[in-house]
Amino acid sequence: MPQPEQVHSAFSILEFCQFARKKGFSNGVQQTLSALEAAKAIGLVDLQVLELALRAVLCSSKEEWDLFTRIFELFLSSRESTSGTDSKVGHEPRFNALRPEAGSRALVGLSGSDAGQAEGGGKSVSGASAQERLQKVDLADVPVDDLLALEQISTRLFRKMSLRLSRRRKIKNLRESVDVRRTIRRSIPRGGDPITLAFRGRKPRKHKLVIFLDVSGSMNSYSLFLVRFAYALQKYFKSVNTFLFSTNVVEITDLLRTRDLPDALRGLSQRAAGWAGGTKIGDSLRDFNRQQGRRLLSPSTVFIILSDGWDTGEPELLAGELRDTRRRVRKLIWLNPLLGLEDYAPVTRGMSAALPHVDVFSAAHNLESLLALERYL
Amino acid sequence: MPTSPMTPECKQINDVDDLLRRFEGLGYVTDRALATAVYLVIKLRKPLLIEGHAGLGKTEVAKVLASMLGTRLIRLQCYEGLDVNSAVYEWNYQKQLLAIKIEEKIERTVEEKEKHIFSKEFLLERPLLQSILAEEASPVLLIDEIDRADEAFEAFLLELLSDFQITVPEMGTIKAKHLPYVILTSNRTRELSDALKRRCLYHWIDYPSYEKEMKIVRVRLPGIEEELGSQVVRFVQAVRQLDLAKPPGVTETLDCAQSAMSLGKHRLDVQTVEETLGCVAKSLDDGNKLKAAGIEKMLS
Repeated sequence: MPQPEQVHSAFSILEFCQFARKKGFSNGVQQTLSALEAAKAIGLVDLQVLELALRAVLCSSKEEWDLFTRIFELFLSSRESTSGTDSKVGHEPRFNALRPEAGSRALVGLSGSDAGQAEGGGKSVSGASAQERLQKVDLADVPVDDLLALEQISTRLFRKMSLRLSRRRKIKNLRESVDVRRTIRRSIPRGGDPITLAFRGRKPRKHKLVIFLDVSGSMNSYSLFLVRFAYALQKYFKSVNTFLFSTNVVEITDLLRTRDLPDALRGLSQRAAGWAGGTKIGDSLRDFNRQQGRRLLSPSTVFIILSDGWDTGEPELLAGELRDTRRRVRKLIWLNPLLGLEDYAPVTRGMSAALPHVDVFSAAHNLESLLALERYL
Repeated sequence: MPTSPMTPECKQINDVDDLLRRFEGLGYVTDRALATAVYLVIKLRKPLLIEGHAGLGKTEVAKVLASMLGTRLIRLQCYEGLDVNSAVYEWNYQKQLLAIKIEEKIERTVEEKEKHIFSKEFLLERPLLQSILAEEASPVLLIDEIDRADEAFEAFLLELLSDFQITVPEMGTIKAKHLPYVILTSNRTRELSDALKRRCLYHWIDYPSYEKEMKIVRVRLPGIEEELGSQVVRFVQAVRQLDLAKPPGVTETLDCAQSAMSLGKHRLDVQTVEETLGCVAKSLDDGNKLKAAGIEKMLS
């Protein structure tokens, strides 16, 4: 580790590392040590090279990479002014205002902060406008007494289904190919003749589940049960990520990461229940694809959209985005509660544009139809 | 992390600018940011993770680094389902079976036989083991498109990158004599684990500026006319502004310029672009989008 006098007089690496961490960077003590090593290797003659070196050491994603220059400048300017703390405070709001921009959410997640902070980040993704319009919307279609009973039944049934699914996987893939390595090992005590063959099968791969929920008023009660359904299957999936959308998208995975799901759901319906205004499925899906697609869409992803298909956006956009999504995931399932109605036909502009790009189109208006989803997972 | 004695080659590299010049001497035009990162790879012996869109020369960094240091390049191409057997080592089963048969008549104890068939002679070295076994000098280990491998492999890699040793149960632990210089590349098709990212230096390769891209074209295609070169670069840079599924990288710029040259053109016109559309737009959708945006407008 370099001695203090070796360090550039106007620049303290240690302080900068702490500064960056405060700004949401994920650097730990190891990075600080590397930063000191790097500074030593560089020789500390050139501030620009030092900046580049620190950038290479402290960043670990494109989001951090993009923010770094600004943080570096901020740090320098805060150090130049004599009343250091005051100016830092002065800069703070400006910097926070930058955060909800695309990608910076990942920073919040990376920083390993507590749930409260992550929750705040999750909500701010759609920008200030969403929060302004966030208001309580009435969603009680089901009488409260029935709701409780229904919840209990659903929990039990979903848990059963989860067990069934996991068991089915195990029995299925027993032997696929001969494991030569083990066969030879076993043949040694028998003088080299491979009498008993060892087999190996493919390890069952877990899939990711992404749920995309329409939160326009009529959808809420359906949404809540679908979330319950999905979270009962959490063990079966590698991860479950849940998003709400109407005219924009908000991730609520963090809110749902709790032991007491019914409680969280009730809290959710109080807090995040729908924004007034039309539904723009295409726009929301595009935002999702841009911001989260890389993280969540992969050939092992099952993507479920729950919506009635009443779309005020352009059907072409919806079709295009659905095609994009479809190409990147394993299965795209569209649940439409209206399908449960006897005389319903999917002829709305949005719905008919969407249908060609959907793998499974199914109702989700009651528990039975939700349980029927099992065979598609 | 254990340090190894510096090889004579890296003593010669004095500072970042020196490295920058050497890279350009080898035909790789880059900027100070990447040069600094590579410099730190050599000095700190930490792996470097390079992310960026396709076709911007991520893989090339490792190749140029290897030729600059005059050392071996060992490449591991990642893919979905990549397992330890094809990344680290595998026993040569056929040969082992043959050896067992041949030795049947020979008077040896079972232990001796076992020791023989699990000796180095029967070991197939895959890239990661090769990089550890290097005898003379530190090789450059390129782990290409790490985002394609699954998380399990990433976790294994983590272990390797911190200790630089590999355990073969039948032979024992093999420790690296010379720590390899490790370059990882990723196209960001998925997020890598925090633990891996924390262990690496990071560099994001962005699309080059006009000046830088011109420089690249001049270096890579020495025969190109200045007029044609600048037209191609301006055109491709305009195409990048469109919202294509696969925006063209520098590779595409070079392809486009190369094909215009081989067609004997001196200027890039609408017809030439349409004939060589496949150089820039890599899917039908992208091609249509490009045409809809007006090729003529982008050429002006």
